[in-house]
Amino acid sequence: MRAIVATTLLVTAGLISLQAQAQTQAQRRAAPAVKAGAAGEWKTPWGDPDLQGTWSNQTLTPLERPREFADKPVLTEAEAAAYEKRLVDAGNVDNRNPGTVQDVNLAYNQVWWDRGNRIVADRRTSLVVDPPDGRVPPLTPAAQKRRDEDRAASDAEKFAASWLDFDVYSRCIIRSALPRLSTGYNNNYEIVQAPGLVAIMQEQVHETRMIRLGNTPHLPSDVRQWLGDSRGHWEGNTLVVETTNFTDEARGSTFQYATKNMKLVERFTRVSDRTIDYQFTVSDPGTWTRPWTAKLPWNRIDGLIYEYACHEGNLGMEHMLSAARAAERKGR
Amino acid sequence: MRQLHIAILAALAWCITAPAAFAHHSFSAEFDVSKPIKLQGTVTRVQWINPHTWIYIDVKKPDGTTENWGIEGGTPNTLFRLGFTRDAVQVGSVIIVDGYESRDGSKRANGRDMTLPDGRKLFMASSVGNDAASKDK
Repeated sequence: MRAIVATTLLVTAGLISLQAQAQTQAQRRAAPAVKAGAAGEWKTPWGDPDLQGTWSNQTLTPLERPREFADKPVLTEAEAAAYEKRLVDAGNVDNRNPGTVQDVNLAYNQVWWDRGNRIVADRRTSLVVDPPDGRVPPLTPAAQKRRDEDRAASDAEKFAASWLDFDVYSRCIIRSALPRLSTGYNNNYEIVQAPGLVAIMQEQVHETRMIRLGNTPHLPSDVRQWLGDSRGHWEGNTLVVETTNFTDEARGSTFQYATKNMKLVERFTRVSDRTIDYQFTVSDPGTWTRPWTAKLPWNRIDGLIYEYACHEGNLGMEHMLSAARAAERKGR
Repeated sequence: MRQLHIAILAALAWCITAPAAFAHHSFSAEFDVSKPIKLQGTVTRVQWINPHTWIYIDVKKPDGTTENWGIEGGTPNTLFRLGFTRDAVQVGSVIIVDGYESRDGSKRANGRDMTLPDGRKLFMASSVGNDAASKDK
């Protein structure tokens, strides 16, 4: 009897949960997302600023200011249009140089790439806004050593002994360490909120960050996670998220050669119906000579996030290891 | 020749200044840069999977025999957003592939460029844009 009651309770709980999910999904689809207007107008039913929806951070703007724009933090409209055209043209498969490693690594023609064809709307020449020169601060000697080792390990992938020799992206563990920059494709995110919680799912490789809100302490320092441990709070209309507890368990599991002790602070601010202003500051004395900050918009996309079942179809891993064994048989 | 130089310079500039944008895994670890290949064949199977799509084609050899080759493309998610489904490439249709052969000698290549016999690029027929950011400007 107790078993029947327990089963009934479980089934009922499951149905309620399913119903709640269905309602939530229906509400999300039905909700006119937001009205354009002054900041603060985008609120959840429980009163938090509303960041929910599907977003993309794709941009052609490079992280660091190119040397050609050393004295030009912002382009004019005409300069921006010319720069965008140049970048798009240069990425065209017909303009690539056949027979080079770069050409092989760019893999396929541009129909598959989804970098976008615009720089950021405020026409900055770098995503880095601090330091003012738009460049990532110098690496410490220890970080330079890690960078060199990582580059050597990347070159050695052709002769890899195991999947363990590959980075977290090739292994389908995470797309990359936080914070996320714009990359070649699938730069898409879905934000879902609940009281006390913000969830951010990234399309590629389909991982979800769970950001707890409020004054709760980080996990103990010996607990390390691929996406670190995030804690958030609201400052006015801005979601401020502090993330620590990263891991250096595998290649690529830390951001830009940082140590696992890096601290990340992100700021998400809804500034229009279709834009979230996103900024991050990273600090890690073991890596950079000073903290630095970058800023890139998340723009709303009118579509769904698609599944990215990375492990299921990761034939590339098998093929790379097979190629490495073939190279061994040939004596390299 | 001058045009070639301009193209190379432009490609170098892109590689230096554009955001990091390489495929999910190292294609140079999978395919051989010294073995470019051009194939024409009839589509036998399409795998619309992540992280990379695979299109298989039967290629007729000069001696009359047929080889089945696997062609690696990008993520299907990008194509979905452009309006393409798995039916965009029909079994039985003929495509031409430019790419590089696999390093392990198996019948695989990357689809550096895929065209139809009349010269049109595969998947280029859609009018749907794929630039989210541009819609906001």
